[in-house]
Formats: sequence, structure tokens, C-alpha cells
Amino acid sequence: MAELARYRYLFEQMVRRELRQKYQGSALGVAWYVVNPLVLMGAYYLMFGVIFTATKHPDYPLFLMVGLVVWIFFSQSLMSAAPSLLDQGALIRKAPFPRELIPGAVVSVQAVTFVFVLALVALVTIPLRGSLSPSLLLLPVILVALYVFVMGLCLAVAVLHAHFRDVAPILSAALLPWFFLSPIFFAPGDITDKATARFAMEWLNPIAPFIEAIRRVLYDGHAPSLAALAYVLVAAALALLLGRALFGRMSAELAVIV
Amino acid sequence: MSAAAPALLPGEIVLDHASRAFSIRADRGGTLKELLLGKRTGGPAPIQALADVTLHIPPGQTVGIVGRNGAGKSSTLKVLAGIVPLDSGRVAIGGQLVSLLELGAGFGRDFSGRENILLGGALHGLDKQQIEAKLEDIIAFSELGDFIDVPVKTYSSGMYVRLGFAIAAHLDADVLLIDEVLAVGDEAFQRKCEARIAGQVEGGATLVLVSHDAALIERTCERVVVLDGGHVVFDGPSAAGMEYYHRQMNTPTAASVAETEGP
Repeated sequence: MAELARYRYLFEQMVRRELRQKYQGSALGVAWYVVNPLVLMGAYYLMFGVIFTATKHPDYPLFLMVGLVVWIFFSQSLMSAAPSLLDQGALIRKAPFPRELIPGAVVSVQAVTFVFVLALVALVTIPLRGSLSPSLLLLPVILVALYVFVMGLCLAVAVLHAHFRDVAPILSAALLPWFFLSPIFFAPGDITDKATARFAMEWLNPIAPFIEAIRRVLYDGHAPSLAALAYVLVAAALALLLGRALFGRMSAELAVIV
Repeated sequence: MSAAAPALLPGEIVLDHASRAFSIRADRGGTLKELLLGKRTGGPAPIQALADVTLHIPPGQTVGIVGRNGAGKSSTLKVLAGIVPLDSGRVAIGGQLVSLLELGAGFGRDFSGRENILLGGALHGLDKQQIEAKLEDIIAFSELGDFIDVPVKTYSSGMYVRLGFAIAAHLDADVLLIDEVLAVGDEAFQRKCEARIAGQVEGGATLVLVSHDAALIERTCERVVVLDGGHVVFDGPSAAGMEYYHRQMNTPTAASVAETEGP
């Protein structure tokens, strides 16, 4: 940890590089980080909010948006973390800085965008659907847990992809069905009455409790269940432990393989 | 890196029975198929870049590493820089900062020279204040003038090296590792670099220099290590070392005939 603290300025530099390299030379520049999720949300809204309108959720666009922003953060982070070590091979071959900083910077840039877009959504959702209840205080806790959870997974994905180049394609193939199985444009209770199916949808998909907890606070205006809170905290801790362990074991040879 | 080892002085270098082999397959990253099917098959045997190398370099010493192409010189520097781990043996460096300068070393091509200075310092763990304190010196040393605010992809190779050297030589590293870059600049800049290196060494820094330039090695280094096939075949004062190296060069092996022509 002390080692990471020493490289704080490097982290700052990498975040800046990440922001600049992505959209350098484009007219909107960094604004694309916000425009892309908004366009994606518009497309999904058209699909599930206008075309398939069989829903019992009032103000359905807001219901959809809250889930979607969380999903977009989750999936974009994984997809951009996977090739990140290969992209920064030149830096890895130059100095023995902590390699975690590279996927860390990528995820952090995504997280900043996510918080910004989520704030936009919250500005509309809380007055219309939610309430200014004390349960809103839980939101930062859940968001930090989500960040840690995604960070852990991204560390794992990045170092795995550096060793096995199949990881990114597998991931992008897996994310599509994963999206439709996640409670984003529906709540698990909407599509099944079977307790086992519902349980599986709510708890076996690790991103589902995060989506539901955030939607519960922002859209329903209630605190999430204790079980959900415990789940997201434990999932975050486990993901980070797993990610760091895997990264620690597999990062020594990075300068040779990237 | 060296958990149970006795504390080293800043700038001290220890290589203890160090070995490292590289696979020379074209696709160095594996695929999941190979992982699932078990061991990799086929392909050429790995190259032994360092074979049981033991070296002790006291702080402030200037060491030249010479040898044929493929003798393990650059690999040794990579190991000393902490970028490539060993297969077996031990490497330990005293002090915090090891600066490696090599040809074409990674700069953000879309970034200006100035931004690359900040990044170069940050890569070695310096903070903003520390780098900014050196910024003007580095810019002045590089002689890049207005080019410092232009993306480095527009630089000539000479400018590129000047920037790289200016950064590496101003980080106040405990150990300065230089891999065959000084030959690129013009003569005036080379002299300036040598003077800068001499100043760093006087300040207590250890220098390890890889070069095919015999005159440069003799001017700059007090000790010479000759590598061949990953082994240390000579280790001693530079005059005797260069003599040994020249003798070795004049008795070409079949494989070295093409290699020693060099790039």
C-alpha cells in the first residue's frame, strides 16, 4: 500500500492519459464519456420503454435508466480494463511501477463518468419517484462497494487477458446474455413466480444485488434489505481479494509478455 | 525484492547466481487452448539470457557491459531495472530509484515532450513537486527549445534520444542503466551526456553502461564485464576487459559472423 501511495502522481498522470488518448482529436473530447452512455440509454429506452411496453413500473424510463447506468459502468469497465495492460506495454517495459495502476486508472475514469451520469439520472428520479429519505445516505456506501467490486474483477480480467488473449472476446460474448439476465429492464419478480428462479436471478448474478440496491434507494426511495447490503459489501471484498491475489501472482512477467 | 537480504547501500548492486531464460516463440502470450490442453508444445527452445551470473557492484562504480549481440547485456539491465524477474538466483539493488535508458523506450507518442517528462518522472515514483523542480533543467538539457511542447511523434530520432537522456539523467537515480543510446546524439550532445554522467557518478550514483563503443567504455567505465551466452566470461579493469573483448570479437563463431555486423 505504501508502494502505491508513492505512485499517486503516476496514477493521476495515467487517468489524464486515459482521458486524452481515448478521444483525442475529437470535437467533443472528454464529453464522449457522457454522451456514449446517454445514447446507449436512449436506445434501450426506445426498445424497452416505447416498443415493448408491458411493464408495471411507473415512470418506466427512470426505472430503466437507474439499472442501465450501473450496467454500463460494469460492462464498460470490464471491456476497457481487459486490453489495458497490453495497450500500455511501452510503460510496463520502462519502469517497475505497480502495474495495478493501469487497470486502476481505466476503472477510475469509468467510475467518474458513471457518477456523473448517475447524478443526472438521480436529479430526475429522486423528485419524481424516490424520496429524500435517510436511506439516500446508504447510496455512497453501495457505490463505493460497487467501485471496489468492479475494480477487483477488472484487475483479474486485465492480467488474465495479458496472458491469454482470448479473455476479452470471451468477455464481450458473455456480457450480452449477461445483460439480458440481469434485472435491468425488469425486476426479477416481473418475469417469474417461481421462488428458485427468482432466487437465482437475484443472488447468483453478482451484479444483480448492486443494481437492485441502487434502484431501491434512488427509484423506490427505500433502504435496501440488510441481506442485499451485506451481499454487496461481501462481494466487493471478495472480488478485490480475488483480483489482487490473481494480479499479484500473474503480473511479474508482464514486461515480457505484453 | 530482497526480503531477507542485508540492507544494501544506495547504488549497490548484487546479482547472485542469477538466471533467466526467454521463450522466443513469436506469440509470447498464451491462449486458453494451451492452458486447457496443458503444456505448450513445439517451437524453439528458450534462450538462456542470463546463466548463473554473479556480480557485486559497489556504489559509485562505473561498469561497462560488453559482448556479442544476444550475449545477455540488455537482459541484465532489464533484470537490474526490476522490469524482468529472474527464474532463479537473486537480484538486489540498494536505494529507491533505478533509471533505465534504452533506445526507443516508451513515451506517449501523442504527448508533448513536457508531458513525457512528467510521465517519465511519475513512472519512477516521483511526485509532482519533485518533477516540476527538475522540469526546467531537463528541458534546458534536452536542447529541444520550442519542440518541448510538440507531440513527440514529430521528433527526429536524435531529439527523441536527447529527451530520453535528459529525463533519465535528471531523476537523481541511485543506479543509472544505459543501453546503447549515447551513440545516437551528435558529438556535442554526446560530450554533454558524458559530462552529465560523470557528474552523477561523482554524486554517488552507480553507472552500468551497455555499449559497443569501445572508446566510450574505456573513457567512462572503470570496470568491464564481458558476457557471452549469458555467462560472465570476464570481469575486471576496463583496459584488460576491452582487450579481452577485442580478442573475442576477432575469433568469430559461426553464429556470430552475421550478428557482429550489428544494426
